[in-house]
Amino acid sequence: MNLAEKLRMITSKPKPAPEAAPSFTDCWQRTRVRPLDEFPELSSLNSKNLMLMQHEDLPSPFLPGKVLFLDTETTGLSGGAGTVAFEIGAGVLTKDGFAVTQYVMRDYPEERYMLEKVLERLDECDVICTFNGKSFDIPLLRTRFILNRLPTDVLDKPHLDLLHMARRLYKLRLKQCRLSRLEEEVLGIPRVGDLPGSEAPARFHQYLLTHDFALLDDVLFHNEQDVASMLALLSHMCADYESPERIGHQEDIFSMAGALDREKHVRQSRRCYRLVPSGRLHAVSQMRLADSHRKSGEKEKARDIYLDMIIRHEGGAEPYIALAKYYEHTEHDLEKALEFTRKGLLTLAEPTLLDPPSVQETRNQLQYRYDRLQGRLTRKGQ
Amino acid sequence: MLRIYSIHPRFLSVAKPPANGYNGPYTLIAGQEKKVFQTVNVDQLAEVLRRNQDFMENVVRWEELPAQEARYAPFPEELDIRLKDILKTRGIHSLYTHQAHAVQEILRGKDVVVVTPTASGKTMCYNLPILSSILRNPDSRALYLFPTKALSADQVHELYDLIQMTGEDIKTFTYDGDTPGSARKAVRQAGHIVVTNPDMLHSGILPHHTKWVKLFENLKYIVIDEIHTYRGVFGSNLANVLRRLIRLCDFYGSKPQFILCSATIANPKELAETLTGRDITLIDDNGAPMGKRHFVFYNPPVVNQQLGIRKSSMGEVRHISGMLLKNGIQAITFAKSRLVVEVLTRYLKDMVRDPLGNAGRVRGYRGGYLPTTRHEIERGLREGRVDAVISTNALELGIDIGALDACVLCGYPGTIASSWQQAGRAGRRKASSIVFFVASSAALDQYIVSHPDYFLQKSPENALLNPDNIYILLSHFKCAAYELPFEDGDSFGNAPSPDQLLEYLEDVHILRHVDGRYHWMADDFPASNISLRSASAEENFAIIDITDSAHHRVIGEMDRFTVPMLLHENAIYMHEGEQYQVEKLDFDACKAFIRRVDVGYYTDADLNISLSLLDIEEQVDEPPLLSRALGEIKVTALVTMFKKIRFDTHENLGFGHVRLPETDMHTVAMWWKLPEDLCSRFSSDTLKNGMLGVANLLRIVCPLYLMCAATDVVVVYQVKSPITDAPTIIIYDNYPGGVGLSQKAYAMQKLLLEKCLSIVEGCHCAQGCPSCVGPVGEIGVDGKDTAIKLLRDMIRRC
Repeated sequence: MNLAEKLRMITSKPKPAPEAAPSFTDCWQRTRVRPLDEFPELSSLNSKNLMLMQHEDLPSPFLPGKVLFLDTETTGLSGGAGTVAFEIGAGVLTKDGFAVTQYVMRDYPEERYMLEKVLERLDECDVICTFNGKSFDIPLLRTRFILNRLPTDVLDKPHLDLLHMARRLYKLRLKQCRLSRLEEEVLGIPRVGDLPGSEAPARFHQYLLTHDFALLDDVLFHNEQDVASMLALLSHMCADYESPERIGHQEDIFSMAGALDREKHVRQSRRCYRLVPSGRLHAVSQMRLADSHRKSGEKEKARDIYLDMIIRHEGGAEPYIALAKYYEHTEHDLEKALEFTRKGLLTLAEPTLLDPPSVQETRNQLQYRYDRLQGRLTRKGQ
Repeated sequence: MLRIYSIHPRFLSVAKPPANGYNGPYTLIAGQEKKVFQTVNVDQLAEVLRRNQDFMENVVRWEELPAQEARYAPFPEELDIRLKDILKTRGIHSLYTHQAHAVQEILRGKDVVVVTPTASGKTMCYNLPILSSILRNPDSRALYLFPTKALSADQVHELYDLIQMTGEDIKTFTYDGDTPGSARKAVRQAGHIVVTNPDMLHSGILPHHTKWVKLFENLKYIVIDEIHTYRGVFGSNLANVLRRLIRLCDFYGSKPQFILCSATIANPKELAETLTGRDITLIDDNGAPMGKRHFVFYNPPVVNQQLGIRKSSMGEVRHISGMLLKNGIQAITFAKSRLVVEVLTRYLKDMVRDPLGNAGRVRGYRGGYLPTTRHEIERGLREGRVDAVISTNALELGIDIGALDACVLCGYPGTIASSWQQAGRAGRRKASSIVFFVASSAALDQYIVSHPDYFLQKSPENALLNPDNIYILLSHFKCAAYELPFEDGDSFGNAPSPDQLLEYLEDVHILRHVDGRYHWMADDFPASNISLRSASAEENFAIIDITDSAHHRVIGEMDRFTVPMLLHENAIYMHEGEQYQVEKLDFDACKAFIRRVDVGYYTDADLNISLSLLDIEEQVDEPPLLSRALGEIKVTALVTMFKKIRFDTHENLGFGHVRLPETDMHTVAMWWKLPEDLCSRFSSDTLKNGMLGVANLLRIVCPLYLMCAATDVVVVYQVKSPITDAPTIIIYDNYPGGVGLSQKAYAMQKLLLEKCLSIVEGCHCAQGCPSCVGPVGEIGVDGKDTAIKLLRDMIRRC
């Protein structure tokens, strides 16, 4: 980034109003509305798609405008009773746009006013959406509510934690799922000139000593960005679940298929397995797809997939083993079972001392199966 | 006719090891071995030993403590009728007097401390009223604190049994470092009785109190067992943890009662009141029955009359414990070091090995064994499968091993309270028991064994602590401020001037004072900076057996400070009497790799401790005033070599070198440099004896006036100190960074010296005893006299 760009970026940041001295009778707050066209995938944000990606019960009817997007900035990261949220960003969809209201306590006595306002917002909403809120923001708010003797039941509303949802889809590809990384790799919007979240506590402490509100500009900018990204990410994931065909990374499709499979969305999961393009994950997807058919009793469909895999020279010994089982237990055709076992053994090269234990294991199992089947055939022959 | 088996050449007659592999009780008549199936009881054994000239020659004193009859009282009226019925169906129709008294006082709302010996049904004293209270109001909650994890596990077990009898859904959970994350939520929400330890309360529960709302809102009882362990710095820490706990209870609107339990110490009521800051009712009318107890003071025979050298206490204990084992008398042997425990375990195991080499009847027990191994040994003792256990003081605390017939103390444990605790492990309710105290050649042991009355008549030590030690108080004050903001005028238990602490913390920007409240504004977690115990919380070393290369297994663990002594490379490490050689010690990864060996020797390492000066904070160096200083020092522990010692003969087989990093501790010290014109009056030996005498006196006086445990401060003397280049007496805090004890000693130096003088002048001994300058064997004939002269002169110059 050259200097001119840097300057442009700095000056383009919103400037807060200068009336920010603590009043002790209310907290500071500001609402900014982002136009809806910043969120092109909003139309996919519906309960049908949400139910595919998480297991929390959602209210019916589900209204996107009743989701409260929350993110807090805190005086420390330790998560004990002494950690305070000094800023809370709360976003909600309106017909005019995505309205993010930020509440700041300018000193400790204002905490109560800030919490009361957030409590009101929580009261109005049906669903809470956070990024890592299940283990951080919500327990923290619960602690603050208890210490200020406010009711905590509003925090028990249905909760969409984007971190957990994103991990299910992107962990295989991205390894770690920090929000800024998801913005860059999933939404394609790299964040620039951002204040790392870990520096927020220090900024607040500096602010307390100087009452120079400008010190909090970066924190507010960062927080507003986080809240907006949550909505963008949520609708993006909804859109992906709605039309997995558009997903560009095989790891993501494969992960989605697995996630759907675990949640017993059989049809959608098969659809995704089929979409995994040929490559590193194709064989294992095919095996999983066949498994899925087998479990629901469609054994012939599973068989055809295995046969197809053999034609494509995919999956090593795995499809042979599966077919051997199929012919032995379903068709009761011992000869065919023996034949596939033999071929399976052939896919494994001559044993060497360097074979990893998993290969040795597979070979031993196949060999055992082969001997057993042959024994049965001989006895039958007699 | 009585038939007693002995393997001790001097006790009865010479015996050969059994030839037929049978290891049960044997009898020996006129040199012939014969199998018997009846075991000998303690009275019979005592009878035979008393008639045995060879044995009695070494017995200095044979004290018989009379049996005590049981005293019963009816169930107190306040106890819930359902609980009474349950007890009756179990055949329990009354309680011991102390139990009934405790239950009554607790149900009447009093804070109590119950003082009773081991195995007197102490846990009933708190379990009954608490269950009664939960039965009446299922919302009631109780918190149990035990000093160690091992103890909590043990006590929960007993509680489960009682709860099961009630048939009610009363949930008891242990919450400590071993509680899996998945179970923690359930414990916080649903546990009626939460069992934990002070460390977990301090760093795991209090700072996260909002997750424990149910517990804090309904907390009715706080049970603290084994409070005699909470002395000195550990106790001062706990007292402050309790101040924090009570402060949070106030916030949540609960007013819990305290129920404390203690072993016999001189000042249980005072200790309980200092810990809790409340008035406490003392309950010590022990009604549990106790059989007759024999207390035998045994001094090993002199082998070299000219030099006055005695046989080793370990060797004698080997014979005495062996005799008990062979006669089927279940016994515990206490030794002072892990090494001696292991060597004795091996000796005793060798006595009873079956043809396959197993000797499960004999077990060692010490810190560093895996918890499963320890539980197995405890169970074995309770169920009678283990006949002999050799232990460090790890078994001194109230872990339930049932009552044993006999106890052997290999050396004096160091305090009267500890000795009684250990001896208390032997003692049946109805039958007799026997305790052997076998003196080592150390001067202190020799004093005790030659003055049994000193031991029998002196009351156990006081347990002292100082919750208002400014270092400790400030640390916990920070934690308290983190947990809940202080408001103007708030108090912190009965701590002095909290407002000044608040102001200080505001000045250093840890707290922010605004609108009448003090808010935590630092970005850290204060509880993580405090360790309640002296031993640092650093990672333990894992001890890995690599004998079977395919199956490496962890057989134990060891703390960082002991590792250089016992796990240096080429050390013979003994574990449950088995020998292993240390092949590799990976200091960075905290792992020691050992391999099974069978060699005829064990190793013993030499530990060198040296002091060096880091910085002088304050000093007075203006003759003729006594020169004193306060400053930071570095205490370095370094193991440089080890000896190989042959089993049985204990002869030295050679040396080996140890190459390991030294262990450092930075701490605070105060010291007196003795004036040259004073020192020049004595020969260097005399001076040394006198300084040792003064140091011994300071070891007695410091805990009393600094209000700490004897192990919290270290007193050393150096005839030529690297710190001052002159004869110097040094007192330092035995805690990294110091806890303010040396500062206090520096400020009250004259008083400390005066108290030393008054003790030694008021002592009726001729040339020294453990109550003043130390036994004459240690300080020499002129030690007492020289110490008095030194003290008088030092005080004159103060």
